[in-house]
Amino acid sequence: MKAQALHPSRSGAPRYRPPVYPFTALVGQELMKKALVLNAVNRQLCGVLIRGDKGTAKSTAVRGLAALLPALELVADCPFHCDPHDPLWMCFRCRERLRAGEMLPKETAPVRVVELPLNTTEDRLVGSLDFEHALLTGTKRFQPGLLAEANRGIIYIDEVNLLEDHLVDILLDTAVTGINLVERESVSFIHPARYILIATMNPEEGDIRPQLLDRFGLSVNIEGIFMPAVRMQIARRREAFDLDARSFRKKWSAVEDRLQARIQEAERRLPRVQIGEDLFREISLIAAAHHVAGHRADIMMEKTARTLAAFAGREWVMGDDLIEAAELVLPHRARSPEEAARNGDQSTQEQTQPGESPAPEQPGSESGQEAGGEGKDPSATGSPSEGQPREGEEQPGQPVPQPGNADQTAGGEQQAFEDRLFEIGRLVSIPTYDIRFARDSLKRRSSGRRTTTTTDNKTGRYVRATEVRRNNDLAFDATLRAAAPFQRRRPASRLAVKIEESDIREKVRQKKTSNLLLFLVDASGSMGTRLMSETKGAILALLLEAYQKRDKVGLIAFKGIEAEVLLPPTNSIEIAKRLLEELPTGGKTPLGEGLLTAYQLLKNQMRQDPNILPLLVVVTDGRANVGLFRDKFYDGPQFGEIYREIYQICDLFRQERTIRAVVVDAEEKRLGSFGRSKKLAEALNAKYYVLEEVLSEHLVETVRESRGNSDPHYSK
Amino acid sequence: MKERAVFPFSAIVGQDKMKLALILNAINPRLSGVLIRGEKGTAKSTAVRALAALLPEIEVVKDCPFRCDPQALEKLCPRCQETLAEQGHLHPLREKMRVVDLPINATEDRVVGTLDLEHAIQKGEKRFEPGVLADANRGILYVDEVNLLDDHIVDVLLDSAAMGVNTVEREGVSYTHPAEFILVGTMNPEEGELRPQLLDRFGLCVHISGITNQAQRVEIVKRWSGYELDSGAFSMEWQAQEHQLAERILAARRIFPQVVIADEILIRIANIAIALSVDGHRSDLVMMKAAKTIAAFHSRTVVEPSDVDECVDLALSHRMRKRPFEEMVIDPKRIEEMIAERMSSRASSRY
Repeated sequence: MKAQALHPSRSGAPRYRPPVYPFTALVGQELMKKALVLNAVNRQLCGVLIRGDKGTAKSTAVRGLAALLPALELVADCPFHCDPHDPLWMCFRCRERLRAGEMLPKETAPVRVVELPLNTTEDRLVGSLDFEHALLTGTKRFQPGLLAEANRGIIYIDEVNLLEDHLVDILLDTAVTGINLVERESVSFIHPARYILIATMNPEEGDIRPQLLDRFGLSVNIEGIFMPAVRMQIARRREAFDLDARSFRKKWSAVEDRLQARIQEAERRLPRVQIGEDLFREISLIAAAHHVAGHRADIMMEKTARTLAAFAGREWVMGDDLIEAAELVLPHRARSPEEAARNGDQSTQEQTQPGESPAPEQPGSESGQEAGGEGKDPSATGSPSEGQPREGEEQPGQPVPQPGNADQTAGGEQQAFEDRLFEIGRLVSIPTYDIRFARDSLKRRSSGRRTTTTTDNKTGRYVRATEVRRNNDLAFDATLRAAAPFQRRRPASRLAVKIEESDIREKVRQKKTSNLLLFLVDASGSMGTRLMSETKGAILALLLEAYQKRDKVGLIAFKGIEAEVLLPPTNSIEIAKRLLEELPTGGKTPLGEGLLTAYQLLKNQMRQDPNILPLLVVVTDGRANVGLFRDKFYDGPQFGEIYREIYQICDLFRQERTIRAVVVDAEEKRLGSFGRSKKLAEALNAKYYVLEEVLSEHLVETVRESRGNSDPHYSK
Repeated sequence: MKERAVFPFSAIVGQDKMKLALILNAINPRLSGVLIRGEKGTAKSTAVRALAALLPEIEVVKDCPFRCDPQALEKLCPRCQETLAEQGHLHPLREKMRVVDLPINATEDRVVGTLDLEHAIQKGEKRFEPGVLADANRGILYVDEVNLLDDHIVDVLLDSAAMGVNTVEREGVSYTHPAEFILVGTMNPEEGELRPQLLDRFGLCVHISGITNQAQRVEIVKRWSGYELDSGAFSMEWQAQEHQLAERILAARRIFPQVVIADEILIRIANIAIALSVDGHRSDLVMMKAAKTIAAFHSRTVVEPSDVDECVDLALSHRMRKRPFEEMVIDPKRIEEMIAERMSSRASSRY
């Protein structure tokens, strides 16, 4: 095997590029295609987020877009693809060369789409020390990362909602400033990193952080097509592509070329597009009608409408352009009334508090890419020394939590919330809940996130390296980088690299989700309808909270003769909610089976992730009347045996020290009480509450306390 | 150590759906895999391992860690691209399709590949060390107990299973290579469910349970003890049948490109998917491919409606929205009713 065979690709080296399905051959999904094309025309639209079911050609469309992107003029040998005509946003080297009077070599190349895979480590995203160079020359050199490659291009993230938090943090930082500042592993470097984000996600898998959501100029929600003839066409084209990708692409090349030409034409036309005064007024009316926060939506609508006009071949904006623009700009910013009524979509809600008081919103959104907008606005520059101050003037700075404001919004929110939850059950304690929402939207990094634990057992995702030695989990890349600059000074050995103790770096690994809320719900006939809806209401409140905390949630229901895992531990609140709504009740009470199922599931989860902190919430009236391993024909309750089994299972739980439990007694006391839930609580060593006595509010509070997660931000 | 012969595929008693699903994938790798759901001790793993013996040979580039197809020039890995540019040709080799195991405790760097440690120390150069996804290119990636896999490993699996590409940006290396594998997973649903997104990545899904037929149960025990006693002799006994099946798979592979599917059948497929309210369009594509593969397996070049019926539950059972206390099983009669219902409601709404 040749030595250089598997060298990482450098510029110029071949990369694996599988054939791409042509963008124009996609059937339907016009809104998504439009959003992508508009971003190809005008990169100031700040990218697009595509949310949709699995299997709706989201990723295929984005990958197809790359072939249509217009060309860009750039400095030929600059790793950051600087614009030869824009000294403000140049990297150091290009500036120096320009200052020295050098003619910068120019070339034109299509806008790049840089893919950010989920397995990315920090060093590859921001860049790091080039250890090869350091070994050979003994000097330090910065090895540009993906952010450098993406400067003036597009970063594409598939399944963005699964991206690790620490990478999201980096993206947020750089997206705001347009600058990547690297201070790591003895390299210090700064370079422009202005990119737009295009991302796809399946909301079923959990949502993305609102701050990140806000970075996307446009968003579209797509779903499958339900016309058989169209579906047939989709299948036919895919079949043809799979059979012979090359001739399929050839067949579509004329159409592709036409679209690309149209995009280029629109790009040239864009600066000339005019928008009338009356339409500006229209924009603000639309924005107000959708209760958007801040002014970003207005600005985006104006830009999108102008881009639409340019793409349509006009030099003036029409009313229809505005409507189309609103369709793309508002989905993730506005709260549509019916959506708000149907489900508590927190992600949009957080940004759209019925805010006639938009002051604390919009953290730093207008800087960065937009500042560079129109190419004339010098509000930020490539030089760090003069870069930031100007931005500070334009924004309110980092948002500060304002309890007063939150209280105001809470009142209005309460109404909406109660409506939403009514069908599931009365929920009493909404106000406190809403304040938390409001606060959380302002200060998110410290709370409301999955608790990431740094693990010691060499499992989890490698996020960065550290000098601290703990468990010999060697971070080889970082160790090499640490050793590289000193190689010339160290005595020669047989190996190419001389590594000393002081070079050793270890991996810092992280794992997500340390909380797991498992609901064990009695769905038997003895649970009165009224109490059942109460129970559902309480569980929903907890689910919403779990959503914010990014806890995992699981749901087991038992009725008849069996217990079923309705929802395996997940962070998708949507599924949990739907399942809860559809949960039928009736039949006997196989409590033992329920407990055993819960026990097995928790054990399983703990095996997968030893760091998890499970909390079991049992909601039952305690009137078990089916034992374990009974079949349909079993009747004649033998309570003694049934409860003996139950207490045996409780003993199993008590042996697991990490499992905490709460028992919520859902017995209708007015009909007389057996007090069995209380005994169950004792057997489980669990906290005990009576559903009729505690308001849902307290239940929420209770579970929060039991979670043992002392989070000052959440406590009142 | 003498290697033990694997239990022959054709000697597995019953479980016809599972066997069909596996065979279909052996014929058409683009079916993107199969998920086998079932209780313990239902020959799940045995069947997957046995399938390896039936897999056909494929043409690969010699020494290529990704086993590129020397005929598919547009899909060559970076290394083969370089070789082709330098030498003008690639050295072809025939090799059996592989089954690569993904252990539950695999770390992310082993799965996606990482910096080649040895090479860096000795030569001071960066080199990419391929991981499991590279090994599995153009083969089968087998995950036993896939529902117990760590979440972040599932994420990277999804990432590359979706597009057939593995993009690595970690630990100082940046590398992209083909990762088109047949994802075969087994799971015991009692131990937890899979995320819907990962479920959707499996082209087909079968639900198996223990066999209740007494005669068959006896046969299973007999065959297994025969195998335990002398695995070599046992597989010799089954050699003829194994050979026959392998031949049939090969023949089906050969005629598959000629298989055509009529518009009416595609419409029917779409109607089924719509009637069962399946998310997205992957279900249609899978049904189409599966029906074509079944036709090829029956040595026909025209898809018949029965081919679709044969694959509906394989393709759809794991894609339907599951309601509480509802089994993931599709009743063919119910499908007919639902389609009829849909058609009539559409017809009436027209007037």
